[in-house]
Amino acid sequence: MISRLLRRTHMYLALFLTPWVLMYTLSTIAMNHHGFFRELYGDGPPAFEKENELIWNGSFSDGASRGARARAILASAGLEGAFGIEKGEPGKLVILRQDPVHPRRMTYTQADGRLVIEKQIFRTNAFLEGMHRRRGFHHDYLADDGWAVTVDLFVAAMVFWGLSGLWMWWEMKATRKWGVVAALGGLALFAFFLVTL
Amino acid sequence: MSWPQLNRRLHLYLALSLLPWFLVYGFSSLFFAHPSAGQRLYNDGVPTWTLRFERPFNDPAPDGGGGALKALGKKIMETCGLEGSFGAYRHSPTQVNVYVYTFWKSTEVKYFLDRKLLRVEDRRFRWDQFLTGMHARGGFDQDGFLDDLWAVLVDVVCLGFLTWITTGIIMWWQVKHTRMWGWAALGAGAGLFSAFLTWL
Repeated sequence: MISRLLRRTHMYLALFLTPWVLMYTLSTIAMNHHGFFRELYGDGPPAFEKENELIWNGSFSDGASRGARARAILASAGLEGAFGIEKGEPGKLVILRQDPVHPRRMTYTQADGRLVIEKQIFRTNAFLEGMHRRRGFHHDYLADDGWAVTVDLFVAAMVFWGLSGLWMWWEMKATRKWGVVAALGGLALFAFFLVTL
Repeated sequence: MSWPQLNRRLHLYLALSLLPWFLVYGFSSLFFAHPSAGQRLYNDGVPTWTLRFERPFNDPAPDGGGGALKALGKKIMETCGLEGSFGAYRHSPTQVNVYVYTFWKSTEVKYFLDRKLLRVEDRRFRWDQFLTGMHARGGFDQDGFLDDLWAVLVDVVCLGFLTWITTGIIMWWQVKHTRMWGWAALGAGAGLFSAFLTWL
């Protein structure tokens, strides 16, 4: 009964999390071969290209923080979501909207109310790396908290897959001998790197 | 050995071989997702960094990053008698930092350009940083053979994940009575992931 439950959970959890496994795997390959992408695209992140420029007519409450101002601008532009604020010139507010597919940079100039919206050129490796690094409950948006929950689920699933896999292996007596060889081989290689690197 | 059996054995033995990497990536992700957990474990007043020594140094720093900055980092390491994997970055217009790391030990050299001074500091050992350091280690940017070999293994682990997906899907498909719920799980996961790409 326990064995059957473990097998089914192992499998259905893996099927459900297949997109996350793929994303983390492909992004790790991209990060491991950073040099290749640097040669392909050059140093630095992808460039931004202007998407829109307008006069922003909204207003802020007195003493509003930079974060509150950024949230108001994002909401009015229909681009609500996780963001960061770049250190910029005085009188300018530079918002980096962390959209996973199309990150945007929004520069608001207080003096004339001008708002320039720029979209980052899409690059597969940057997209994958951004998704890989996205985590935590520090943003104010529900969607980001939801994503952080899936990241936690994935972490728990990895540990569960490892432990339930060991259980299932031990139940198959015919595979024990070669299983021990495989496990010890991997462990020895890992220990070697622990000592030497 | 039949094809389905070969598929099962590949799934199993590959997992057993790569289990240490699999568990390290799993447990370390916890500290990436919840960095405060690591902070709480070591909230004992012991300073993170300890000064090893300071010494004068005067070498111009390149304006850009990349290879020139890395060459300066290497020279700073030689001057300080440090060895190992390293990286260099410009912390501020008047400061270049070089970090030297192994799985067990991390050292940082701060080069204060205006004061013509090198300060070498050692980081205290922490298990959370040990795990996250191992998780983040990879790439073929270092000069050492073993660093390259570790990066090759990172690729092997990635290929392992792709193989587990493939062999896992084949195993699922062979158990006919699980197909319906399997499709439901696969579809729900793909749907949720796609939705996050729109919501985030």
